[in-house]
Amino acid sequence: MDLKTIYSNKPKFVVREIGEELILVPLTGNVAKMNEMFTMNETGKFIWENINETTTVEELEKAVTDEFSIDPETAKNDIELFLIQLVTKLKI
Amino acid sequence: MQDIIQLNIADFLVNLHSEFPVELESGYFPFISNPEIGKADVDIYSFIGIPENPFYNYQLVFEAENAEQKFYSIYKSNNELRFIMYDQQNVNQVQQIAYLNADFSEWKIYNRLEPDIKPMPLKYPMGPIMMHYLTQKCGAVMMHASNVYDGEKGRIFTGFSGNGKSTMSKIWADAGNLVINDDRVIIRRNEDGYFVYNTPMFYQDVPKKAPLHAIYLISHAPANKIKKLAGALAVSRVMAFCIQNNFEKQLIQNHLNFFGTMCHEIPVFDLGFVPDAGVIDCILKHGI
Repeated sequence: MDLKTIYSNKPKFVVREIGEELILVPLTGNVAKMNEMFTMNETGKFIWENINETTTVEELEKAVTDEFSIDPETAKNDIELFLIQLVTKLKI
Repeated sequence: MQDIIQLNIADFLVNLHSEFPVELESGYFPFISNPEIGKADVDIYSFIGIPENPFYNYQLVFEAENAEQKFYSIYKSNNELRFIMYDQQNVNQVQQIAYLNADFSEWKIYNRLEPDIKPMPLKYPMGPIMMHYLTQKCGAVMMHASNVYDGEKGRIFTGFSGNGKSTMSKIWADAGNLVINDDRVIIRRNEDGYFVYNTPMFYQDVPKKAPLHAIYLISHAPANKIKKLAGALAVSRVMAFCIQNNFEKQLIQNHLNFFGTMCHEIPVFDLGFVPDAGVIDCILKHGI
């Protein structure tokens, strides 16, 4: 999974924090697709916020493992699934 | 500029200036107010004749159209916007060119010259577009929704076209409640809470206002069923029905902030309903 691509696409979204969750509104060609906005739960929000220019998947796994006190295998599977969904939904 | 017509829409003051006599769609008549001393929330200057080459150095940023026709297009340069409004009776014919300044406080509307016909500067879709940017300027929102008031509680019903907004309004009206509007409303927040207003429509109705206590996302169902929504899901579901032509981040952020706060303070429900008076009992018993 290319986290750099996801990171480079972050500015194409307008984000609002709602409690522990996030709402993302995509901008495509400078036109917001309001019918395609979507939400992230606490874990998704944590992953999204921890994707930066140099983040690796391994670093994400460790961060999620530490933050949510889950085993590395579960964290790895959750992150993989989340990133696949993210790329599909964000169409990047 | 000679004549000024002042409109009071959702307690916003709109001054319409014109050197020439203009005409308004009849739905605006009840919203005409006696001009008050003081600054209007937005000034509109109406002209006759389409300017030449109005989009030089402007970039197309948004187009509202469907398979049959165009509604309007938006161009942008240095934070100023320019619009083409298309005539809805004559497909793709330009009705007006409109300029909006950077802080959304002033419109210049250039109406197509039509011999022996008074210009209608707020002719659809110009009027709703003007109202949309008025709400953006003033921290309010415009939504596709019906709104009813029972004298104590104000409720919004929103959903996709065909999901029953007008049906719901009729059910409440038949039970003796006040319908603020069954299609399009402006929502504002002041120190006393959130308030819902009707806006000028294609038919005449007096200006109305009601407090807001609950928001229902409606759909037809085999039985009445209410489920409370919360958090990001509630915000995203409600915001999907706001009127917007957002093509830049700040405008979207404004809406996200408004709906994020509103949906935290005003309860949001998913409501599947059977179209009869039983839904009122269901709401009073299980909702707000």
